[in-house]
Amino acid sequence: MSRTLFHMALYAALALGALGLLWRMAAWFRVRIGPDARAVTPAERVGALFRGAASALFSRRLLHVVAALFLDVLLQRRLYANDKLRWLGHLLMFFGFMLLLLLHALAPVVTVPLFPGYESTLAPWLFLRNLCGAMVLIGIALFLYGVWRRRTRFAPVRGPMAAAFIALLGFVLMTGFLLEADKIASPQAFHRMAQENGVTDPAELEPLRALWAAEYGVAFSDLRQPLTPELLEKGRAVHAEGCESCHARPQSAFVSYPIARALASVAGALDAARADVWLLYLHVFACFVGLATLPFTRFYHAVAAPVSLLVDAAAPKREFSAAARASRRALALDACVRCGLCDTDCSVAPLARHLGNPTLLPSHKLIATGALAGGSLLASGHEDDALRAAEGAFLCTDCGRCTSACPVGLDLEDLWEAGRGDLAAANLPAPAQWVRARTASAWAELLRQGQSAHVLSDPDAALAPLSADRNSFSRCVQCQTCTNVCPVVAHSTDPGCGVDLTPQKVMNLLRLGMRDFTLGSRMVWDCATCYQCQENCPEGIRVADIMVELRALAVHRLGAVRNWKAPS
Amino acid sequence: MKYALFLGCKIPSRLPAYEASTRAVLAHLGVTLVDLEFTCCGYPARNVSRDGFVVSAARNLALAERAGLDVLTPCTCCLGTLRHAQVLLDEDAPLRSRVAQALAADGLAWSGKAAVEHVLPLLARLIGTNKGATVPAAAVSVPRTGLRVAAQYGCHALRPANVARFDNPMAPTIFETLIRATGATPVDWPRRLDCCGDPLHEGNPPLAEHMTRAKIADALASGAEVLCTACPHCHLRFDAVQSGAPDPSLRTLLYTQLLGQAMGLPAKSLGL
Ligand code: SF4
Ligand code: SF4
Ligand code: SF4
Ligand code: SF4
Repeated sequence: MSRTLFHMALYAALALGALGLLWRMAAWFRVRIGPDARAVTPAERVGALFRGAASALFSRRLLHVVAALFLDVLLQRRLYANDKLRWLGHLLMFFGFMLLLLLHALAPVVTVPLFPGYESTLAPWLFLRNLCGAMVLIGIALFLYGVWRRRTRFAPVRGPMAAAFIALLGFVLMTGFLLEADKIASPQAFHRMAQENGVTDPAELEPLRALWAAEYGVAFSDLRQPLTPELLEKGRAVHAEGCESCHARPQSAFVSYPIARALASVAGALDAARADVWLLYLHVFACFVGLATLPFTRFYHAVAAPVSLLVDAAAPKREFSAAARASRRALALDACVRCGLCDTDCSVAPLARHLGNPTLLPSHKLIATGALAGGSLLASGHEDDALRAAEGAFLCTDCGRCTSACPVGLDLEDLWEAGRGDLAAANLPAPAQWVRARTASAWAELLRQGQSAHVLSDPDAALAPLSADRNSFSRCVQCQTCTNVCPVVAHSTDPGCGVDLTPQKVMNLLRLGMRDFTLGSRMVWDCATCYQCQENCPEGIRVADIMVELRALAVHRLGAVRNWKAPS
Repeated sequence: MKYALFLGCKIPSRLPAYEASTRAVLAHLGVTLVDLEFTCCGYPARNVSRDGFVVSAARNLALAERAGLDVLTPCTCCLGTLRHAQVLLDEDAPLRSRVAQALAADGLAWSGKAAVEHVLPLLARLIGTNKGATVPAAAVSVPRTGLRVAAQYGCHALRPANVARFDNPMAPTIFETLIRATGATPVDWPRRLDCCGDPLHEGNPPLAEHMTRAKIADALASGAEVLCTACPHCHLRFDAVQSGAPDPSLRTLLYTQLLGQAMGLPAKSLGL
């Protein structure tokens, strides 16, 4: 390969990768998630980073950072605790890849100075290179197996860039192995080296060819003499003089060597096609493509996730300033590796499946939170996505299991809280809040005019069977016992606590066939589900159960006529 | 004696002391607790989907059933919700078959075998305040003599009584009896059966705050030194309303902590 071309491509890839990295990292200081993040400027956020880094560097926290580097970043202790198989896959991929990068790709600057006399074709390098490559391949296989094993209806959104990254990595390894195999088997490569070493006299060349055919895997198609022990002995003498210092037997390349054997019959054809040249180009340029696109493939997590882990170690999250918290959240969007371990542990995963709404699940919610901050969720045409994201956000129970499962240690509950703040600012607060925008009768009027197609819904009778069945409330004698024991009614004279109806009046509206007038009622939405009414009703009416069902019905029916639009 | 421990969503992340003290006290009394892969009891889902709520609850019941265990929960809201789901599954056949279908997707099934129990009645049986106790009341070695304690029952343990099946909803006694068992003195307070306000803290914060403060004021006026809870929602609610004040005017204590103290268990094991 021409050195100029190689260097031009290398520097172009490095420059592109570095620019991309800068662009992506700038987002850590630019993207705003949460109402508190809107109060700080990017400059303040950069300042907070430097202050935080400085105070961590000159204090005992430095020990935490070093510990995190080894235990969390290199050894992946959090992943080990949550999923051993994935941990094994990750470590194989990571260490295989890093060793290949350092010892093989960066050999001129790392291996050569460290190990005088290094030759890529000597032991133990042949073996080590194959070992590392095999580690990465096994790691990829374990990863794919893990994805398959954990497949659920709502897999984490990995996107085309994740597949592209895995495919590219696999491609680099396969071309590497093929290139090595081709070089082992290639008669042309042998002759070029023999020539370079001055072995041209047939009396020396033939025995050497015999030896390399017998013991070094070269697939000659034109050997003139049988491989007798004497011939091989002669060959060994020639080999000892010219070749031995650079060439070990290739059998220790335990992946490439069998491939070379398998290619033996086509070695001549490969030589004729200059396979060594184009395989080298493919191998090297695939690496450069990987380098240049690093910030935009899933490989970017190799930058963002360690930064995230180290930042956490540098400062306990409770001590974060608003500026630092804002950056921390933006960083979390990039550091998420879409492993889906949070989804597996999420408390409301069964509900997500029942509602058919993946945004209840943390890995999906993280993406929605990012889309909301980036504005794409509020673009017109995405109303349904925004409404579903809001449903997901407000059904989260804040159980914190996602945070404990996350191998990157993301503070997801903080992200959820910030996201709910952003949703509220976009006029998408919790149902108990948006229902308040109109009075009960205004909602009833809207229902009367509006289409009542449900956006996402169980049928009415399944949502609110009690209020749909006259038998469940027709016995009400309007005795007011429910109202008299209701704490919400009792507190309605306190400032800011007024109600529009009473439980007894809600029951009466149902009796009059005016259910739509209850759906937006303060009483229905402020019911504390204390069950005093139900327990005390002389007629055994399930007043509180009816209240709760009316809320579920309201979420769907009022939601359908709510006609939400993103604030412009 | 062996139970599947159902902690719910709040305890592990917001009130780990409840988990610690429950485990410590029950271990002391020889109860084995098993951890299953439980998910949300279904309470928050009630506001959007009745089926979603029952499916969420039934999944947990089916997990316990598969393990051949009854469910024990320290949370009264989880208790109420899980038992509510059981009642609905019993009485509504079409719902039952829809839920069965959803559970079958995970290889689970609900038949109603796993019972759901709250920690308080179990403790009442164990420490000898009820008939059939297996451990004598003498398990209490450091009686909390003289401490005036107000019992906070929690709505969903008591009502609706046909679902919760916990105690007499109008005049419950179990909590006071349990307080007496620790040597402390239960105080009688008019608002002891009222709602703590927690379910409204997001939907209507001012109303929720009025409700909580009314209870605290009432307990104080009735001479309570400690407000004793058996539900993470109530407990965290009282703490949240009183937080920020230099000294909370009414100290909250989980019943499992009170009992643990009386049993002479180390404070650390009770999360104190
Ligand atoms: S905090 Fe919310 S998103 Fe996270 S596991 Fe719990 S319910 Fe799921
Ligand atoms: S948030 Fe954490 S656990 Fe969830 S997918 Fe991302 S990295 Fe994995
Ligand atoms: S207590 Fe029962 S019968 Fe009396 S008004 Fe209320 S629902 Fe009707
Ligand atoms: S359940 Fe609701 S309506 Fe009934 S008494 Fe309690 S707060 Fe009032």
